[in-house]
Amino acid sequence: MLTLQLRVRNEEGALVRVLSMTRRRRFDLVSLTADSSADGAFLDVRMTVQAERSAPAFVRQIEKLVDVAHVEVVGTEQPERDTHAASAC
Amino acid sequence: MKGAQFLVKALEHEGVELIFGYPGGAIMPVYDALLDSPIRHILVRHEQAAALAADGYARATGKVGVCMATSGPGATNLVTGIANAYMDSVPIVAITGQVATPLMGTDAFQEVDIFGITLPVVKHSFLVDTPEDLPRVVHEAFRIARSGRPGPVLIDLPKDIANAAGDFQFHPTDDNDSSLQDLDTDSLARAMELMATSHRPVIYAGGGIGMGRALKEFNDFVDATRIPVISTLKGLGAISTRHPLFLGMMGMHGTKASNHAVQGCDLLICIGARFDDRATGKLSGFASHAKVIHMDVDPSEVGKLRYADVPLIGDLRKTLAALSPASLDGDAWRHECLAWKQAHAWNYDAPAPGIYAPWFLKRLAQRAGHNVIVSCDVGQHQMWVAQHFDFDRPQQHLSSGGLGTMGFGLPAAIGAQLAYPNATVINVSGDGSMMMNLQELATLRRYDLPVKIVLFDNRALGMVRQWQELFHDKRYSEVDLSDNPDFSRVAESMGIPAFRIENKEHIEDAIDDLLLSSGPMMAHVVIDQKANVWPIVGPGKTNSEMMDEIRQ
Repeated sequence: MLTLQLRVRNEEGALVRVLSMTRRRRFDLVSLTADSSADGAFLDVRMTVQAERSAPAFVRQIEKLVDVAHVEVVGTEQPERDTHAASAC
Repeated sequence: MKGAQFLVKALEHEGVELIFGYPGGAIMPVYDALLDSPIRHILVRHEQAAALAADGYARATGKVGVCMATSGPGATNLVTGIANAYMDSVPIVAITGQVATPLMGTDAFQEVDIFGITLPVVKHSFLVDTPEDLPRVVHEAFRIARSGRPGPVLIDLPKDIANAAGDFQFHPTDDNDSSLQDLDTDSLARAMELMATSHRPVIYAGGGIGMGRALKEFNDFVDATRIPVISTLKGLGAISTRHPLFLGMMGMHGTKASNHAVQGCDLLICIGARFDDRATGKLSGFASHAKVIHMDVDPSEVGKLRYADVPLIGDLRKTLAALSPASLDGDAWRHECLAWKQAHAWNYDAPAPGIYAPWFLKRLAQRAGHNVIVSCDVGQHQMWVAQHFDFDRPQQHLSSGGLGTMGFGLPAAIGAQLAYPNATVINVSGDGSMMMNLQELATLRRYDLPVKIVLFDNRALGMVRQWQELFHDKRYSEVDLSDNPDFSRVAESMGIPAFRIENKEHIEDAIDDLLLSSGPMMAHVVIDQKANVWPIVGPGKTNSEMMDEIRQ
């Protein structure tokens, strides 16, 4: 299980992009909450996902989305092997 | 000024010279504005070809290709081309008309959620919902398409926004590519240490080298280190295929030398490639004794499929330039690789009187000169081109690698020929693929583009037929195309001179006719249906397990 805190620009389809990437990379959604920031410019998203696959690789795919401003890993229930030796994330 | 007029001005401002497209209801304001613009619009005969031609133009030039279509079916017809560009990291901007904003969400005539449909196959996309946002959207679309790892960007433009009047100003430009990370000096040092201690290094060259404009730095790196080079399909030409250290394409239809080298190496230096399954074969058995240095502009590719002992993320030009070659211990290994290359050189002996496609392509490559661009479709002929043609630059080889789009070749050739009117542009196709975008022969004629078409006709879906022969007990399912039309007559009816050959004695004359003609021409080349692409690494096999032809 991997829990991420995302700050996403509140642009057309931004949340759908995050969810679409999650499904496409074969991660299952466990929980999701999203709130717009006070000025409405961002969505603050907390999501928990699970998969057999590499969590760091998934994080990098999410980070790559143009509308994703910030990603923070806030929880990993089972440490998953990082295939990325110098991962800064 | 109307939104559509501003859009066209903004495209001019971005340096757009050509748009490939097809008009329709919702995009009509833009087509009206185009009448007053120096931008040349190329009318294709199917929107898929507009996207693929923009892709071919972008691959050949490195510039952003632009395609345009109306809402609904016009937009959905672009999708294959957008996905094609996405899979091969090609910078294109696709502009679609959309029904007016008050009608959106009502299932209006020719309304489709193209923004939603294309979400998984775009680098990014925009729905312009206020006129004021148009300058930013156009600027951002081009910036995103060409920055970092390039890719397709969609702009969906509702008709009322296109018709809205406003005081539009160009968005301020910013040429810095903020997507590029700074080099990690620790990783550079570790990479050089790995190179210095390796005894059997191999360079695995991908399409990122050409896309990242790192050809000079890459060639300098190879010449300085003298490490043998293998490449992916898209990496062909990153170093000349005639270079002594080039061992050939790797993977499913790679050369034996390249697959032996990659399987035996102790250090794999992956540059702008992504461990695609067609290149690696069974991943767990791929270069299994090797440590990996992985250079890429896209952090999400590094470690995606194969652990990288040293990741080098960033601009390949800077990375390669920063890797000063250590003293390498590679002489014995290099000689071993070059011995494989010599021992497994292609054999063009074909005693039958018919035409052996690899030999035809070899002769065509030898005679077409260096100012040639080859676009392929998908299937056996595509692999024969990759194996037997020669390329000095990756921009000479337009091939649908990731998506494998039959029907890519002719539109891509159109895009390349428009970019380079004096180049020899050759579309090598098959009888299956040609039928996928056959209508674009009319586009060749309309713009009098001197594209040469070599259509290898085996009256079958050859690659599928080959797999059914080898891996499905010769149970042939839906691969027979013996009822093909007479391609020469089809071409001639669309104004393209054509001829048919089936005997190898006529190869040289056919190449003369193709290369000496000033306009478009099709050579309909009949080949043996049983000719397969060799060698082949079967599904689920490692690259060590190459099957080869047993010649009679």
